[in-house]
Amino acid sequence: MFAIYKKELKQYFHSMIGFVFLAFFIAIIGIYTWANNFYGKVGNFETTLSSSTFLFVLLIPILTMRVLAEEKHQKTDQLLYTAPISIGRVIIGKYLALITLFGIGVLFVGLYPLLLRHYGPDSVQLAPAYSALIGFFLLGAAYIAIGTFVSSLTESQPIAAVVSFLVLLMSVLVSSIAGALPSDKLSQAAILSVVWIIVAAVAYYMMHNITVAVILAVLGEAAIWIIYAVKSSLYEGLVADILNCAALSSKFDDFTLGVLKYDVIVYYVSVAFLFVFLTIQSIRKKRYN
Amino acid sequence: MIEVKNLVKQYGNHAAVDDLSFTVDTGKVVGFLGPNGAGKSTTMNMITGYIAPTSGTVLIDGVDMEEEPEQVRKNIGYLPENPPLYPDMRVREYLYFVAELKKVPRKERDVMVNEIMNRTKIVDVSERLIRHLSKGYKQRVGVAGAMMGYPEILILDEPTVGLDPNQIIQMRELIRDLSESHTILLSSHIMQEISAVCDEIIIINEGKMIACDTPDNLTMHMASNGLHLVIKGDVPVIKGALRTVSGIKNVVYDEQMEEGTLGLTLYSIDKKDLREDVFFALAEAGCPILEMHRQETTLEEAFIALTKGGSRQFGGKKTAKKQPKPETTADAETAEEMQTVESANAEADTQPEVQPEQSQEETMPETEASENIQNDSSEKEEE
Repeated sequence: MFAIYKKELKQYFHSMIGFVFLAFFIAIIGIYTWANNFYGKVGNFETTLSSSTFLFVLLIPILTMRVLAEEKHQKTDQLLYTAPISIGRVIIGKYLALITLFGIGVLFVGLYPLLLRHYGPDSVQLAPAYSALIGFFLLGAAYIAIGTFVSSLTESQPIAAVVSFLVLLMSVLVSSIAGALPSDKLSQAAILSVVWIIVAAVAYYMMHNITVAVILAVLGEAAIWIIYAVKSSLYEGLVADILNCAALSSKFDDFTLGVLKYDVIVYYVSVAFLFVFLTIQSIRKKRYN
Repeated sequence: MIEVKNLVKQYGNHAAVDDLSFTVDTGKVVGFLGPNGAGKSTTMNMITGYIAPTSGTVLIDGVDMEEEPEQVRKNIGYLPENPPLYPDMRVREYLYFVAELKKVPRKERDVMVNEIMNRTKIVDVSERLIRHLSKGYKQRVGVAGAMMGYPEILILDEPTVGLDPNQIIQMRELIRDLSESHTILLSSHIMQEISAVCDEIIIINEGKMIACDTPDNLTMHMASNGLHLVIKGDVPVIKGALRTVSGIKNVVYDEQMEEGTLGLTLYSIDKKDLREDVFFALAEAGCPILEMHRQETTLEEAFIALTKGGSRQFGGKKTAKKQPKPETTADAETAEEMQTVESANAEADTQPEVQPEQSQEETMPETEASENIQNDSSEKEEE
């Protein structure tokens, strides 16, 4: 695992991606800090971080696109997956290397509040600034896990980058989409039933078994509409609630208010774990294809 | 020791590897031979655990690959078809990474990396970026990576592909050198390489094993007992003279010949030596023999006969239907002749190494083979 970790970190700095990522990361947050804190004369570093979260949507895909796609493309995965080390350790080593690279950037940004404090010792609150930074790091870690997972699905770096970009963009936009959807019970049920049909179609596509897919679709649809008939109150704002679960970045707002919320920390860490786990499973599954 | 039992790899409805079983004993060098798409790489990927078999087991020293993958992989060094190299690493750096990945203790790494670089002759490029290396060097770096940690078993997938003749010789020497201390399974479609270094050859086609034997046995049993002659004289006279010779099983006439001469290949029953009889018979008839030589079957011909020419015989019902007869006659002459020889051999019952597939065939192709000969403006004579 440590071998993979070291090799990955080295490669990030061999291939410039590491430097490019760090440069953009530090520069863009620097620009925000300048615009918000220095030029705007505000002491709250947490608001600066909050407005920089969009940065992830652009930078994380560039960071994670090569992590597994490139190994597959170069067929170097044959070395890794035939070495006396489990697939899980390979993935975790790679993920930790990504986190380390990202962490270097976050550490650097961590100097900014101190710098601000130098100019306005009274107006800069370090506690909310650093709790926001912790949230910022965890949000990034969750996004990196998602990017890693997407990278494991393809052997093309551009596809990995574009798909990760879209997925991250969705996770940012999803709370606004949730707000724009109709909120009455019938349309909630209708949306769910359409989504379920799509799920069944995907299941058919993956399993090539029409009977299972049809049974799945019929059972699901029946459940949705029976529940609607029996207890329609369950559907109150359901779709919006579900969508908001996927809204990673909107959860960051709590940190902006200076609150270190444990449930959000647990949420981010779980998302990271979930996607690292899914990545391992996706690579394992490839052995059987 | 590698034991492969009833290995199957199914891609959709297509079986890339179809019920393959074989054993590679410790210390042996076994060549894995087959045309492109025969399932060589798929099998090797399964042996090394890169992909999982649909069914069947791979046992390395008695341990199942699917059950104890990490323990088993320690004993295997794998060079895939494309060496798994990182183009942005330097050679030494890459080898250190592989050493660490294969859990070579820190203290031994320096010595091992240097030793392996010496053996694979890549010391002079050790500080170069892999990206800038020639194909030959890349291949050697790949072999060095496979050797790292000195695993007991080496699996080399087409180690000489894309190398120039000098490099091929060097690679062959390296493999021979390695074979002293390793069990090696090596795939190739280059015959010299296989016959030069392997103790045993496994020929597969369409995911199935066709033959498994030592190179000598393979060529010997395949060996044609054909005697090629170029004779000057009138055709009817020559034919008449040859009819007096006993022990000729069949005759295949050359398609192209010099004017006033007749070229033909004689096949004898039970590998009987016909040379003297033929000489005297033709001398009596006054037809000078311009050329006479025995046909040696090379491993190439055996391979072609067993896989390509033999696809009609070995490929099962589907391919038998798909491949019309004219196509086979249009095929390489050797393949065509080999079939004749095979049927001749089969009749003489001198093919102990044939695999199950072939034994089914023995009853079938006899008539077809003779038809082929007649199609080919030849005639069959029996005594």
